[in-house]
Amino acid sequence: METVTWLLFALGVSLILAKIGDSIIERYELPGVLGELLMGMILGNLVYFGIVAPEYLPIVTGEGFTTSMTTVANFLAKLGIIFLLFLGALDADLEQLKKTGVTATVSTLLGVFVPLALGWFALVEMGYSSREAFAGGVLLTATSIGLTVRVMMDLGVLKSEVGAASLSASVMDDFLGIALVIFAVGSGSLIELSAKIVAFFIITGVIWWFLVDYYIRFAERLHVEKGILGMVLGMTFLFAALAEGWFAAAIEGAFMMGLVLSKLPEGKRLMEDVRAIGYGLLIPFFFVHTGAMLNLTVFENANALILAGVLTTVAVFGKIFGRGIGAWITAWGRGRDFLFTRENFWMSLQMGIGSVPRTEVALVDLMVAIHGGAIRPEHAPEFIAATLIFITVSVLITPPLLKWAFKREIEESRTMKATRKVERIQTTKEKIKEIKGSS
Amino acid sequence: MEPEEALEKFHSLKLSQIMPRFESMPVVPADADILSVLKILRTRHHVWVVESREDPRLVGLIRYFDVIDVLLPPEAHRFKLGMTSRTMRSMLGGATKAKDVAERHVLTIEKDATVLDALVKMRKYRIQVLAVVEGDRLIGEVSLRILIDELLRLLRVGGAQWKR
Repeated sequence: METVTWLLFALGVSLILAKIGDSIIERYELPGVLGELLMGMILGNLVYFGIVAPEYLPIVTGEGFTTSMTTVANFLAKLGIIFLLFLGALDADLEQLKKTGVTATVSTLLGVFVPLALGWFALVEMGYSSREAFAGGVLLTATSIGLTVRVMMDLGVLKSEVGAASLSASVMDDFLGIALVIFAVGSGSLIELSAKIVAFFIITGVIWWFLVDYYIRFAERLHVEKGILGMVLGMTFLFAALAEGWFAAAIEGAFMMGLVLSKLPEGKRLMEDVRAIGYGLLIPFFFVHTGAMLNLTVFENANALILAGVLTTVAVFGKIFGRGIGAWITAWGRGRDFLFTRENFWMSLQMGIGSVPRTEVALVDLMVAIHGGAIRPEHAPEFIAATLIFITVSVLITPPLLKWAFKREIEESRTMKATRKVERIQTTKEKIKEIKGSS
Repeated sequence: MEPEEALEKFHSLKLSQIMPRFESMPVVPADADILSVLKILRTRHHVWVVESREDPRLVGLIRYFDVIDVLLPPEAHRFKLGMTSRTMRSMLGGATKAKDVAERHVLTIEKDATVLDALVKMRKYRIQVLAVVEGDRLIGEVSLRILIDELLRLLRVGGAQWKR
């Protein structure tokens, strides 16, 4: 009984600190998730450094700390990932995605492939197994759309050609980042795994696409309190169970469910309820739990720092180069003459820089890779440390880099605004003169 | 008419009987300026967005409540996975047209459905307005305002203002 008390205590403390951390970091216009991770890190290290006994904060996992309560906390965090991915997919607009242009598509593919390949190569060179190296590469693939959107909005360039392409590219590479992790954690031969992936896609994508309407109608006819929400979450967990059983990646089930449901207005109407459970409870707990996994003693040896350095370098330059080259070779659909122009170079560079920040999906992929065994338990601490470092660096450097890359556009828009203001004042003065003259 | 009798009749009314004329509905084309949408929302609870005046294919719905997302500056939004669609509605963030801020996934109902069906659907999804469509064309609407009006008309204490 005593242990349940402390699990509830840990859950309460985690949620309160998560929200406070989120708020503090958001004030600096950075993703609040960093604050949640930071709070988790503080809580976890109170235990690692022996300041608080592990039984009082059973959210810390790892060697020597695992108890039945930490297993429950672990599961709650897993539910958090499921809700996060379900929400992310449910919020997607598939119609908009269909309109994605060639530039966004090519730059997404290269923007995913280049960091993946470079990350894999670098990690193999460092002596990690091929599977771990691949998992490390996958961590670098998905851009955090949120920060780019926010900075581009602030700079007033979101509606530009580069802004629109960045937006659709970031949505697509989230999808790819989530899908690719299957190859890292999936077991069995490549043929077996591919067959499972195809079967999974047919069940959760194709068949469910046609059945979902009938399922929602059935749920509506039950006429019970929150009946539709319950039935939808129930099916989400069934899909998650299937994905966990086949690929050790429950998120894929939640993601497919969200994606298919996003085509229905009934599904979209569930968002507020799902958000309430997700962002009110499970998702912040997931981030605190992840932060708590970072044992600062991991920095006692240089491995974690070297890995962090390598992953950060590949994450930043691999993305800028991959997505930038992808945009550049398409010449933004303006033909060959545009290819070697200064403008093409700058637009492609802006596109590349916009893809640097990573947050949620990288953490989700990290957790899936660790729990799925793609990253070995003895290497998990250094991967956690390295991922948290490259996430932090990527979100810190993106705003100033974007500001620099868009400096010409920002200047133009300022000049235009100033000119308009002058024109307006002159028109008003003329009108006043006219009125005075006529009177 | 007694209230019980009026409510019974009210529940069994077909939506096609009480739907307002299309011309009297708050409808704007997808390319309409946000300001024209806001002007309508001063007096109406929602605005329908269709492809164009000649082509009434339903694009989306802008509800009174969505105006909060439109008016908030981008920095007041939270940029988290699963929340980006709301953020994109911000006027200061770059939204300029009706289609930029409309919710594209609109709950619909058949014109042959009854008032009771509409009420049940409204409660289930906590929404005040449903689109009446034929294929993908918007042909009418049923809102709480229309329903209240219709009930008052049945009770002969006023109502059916919208029919004028």
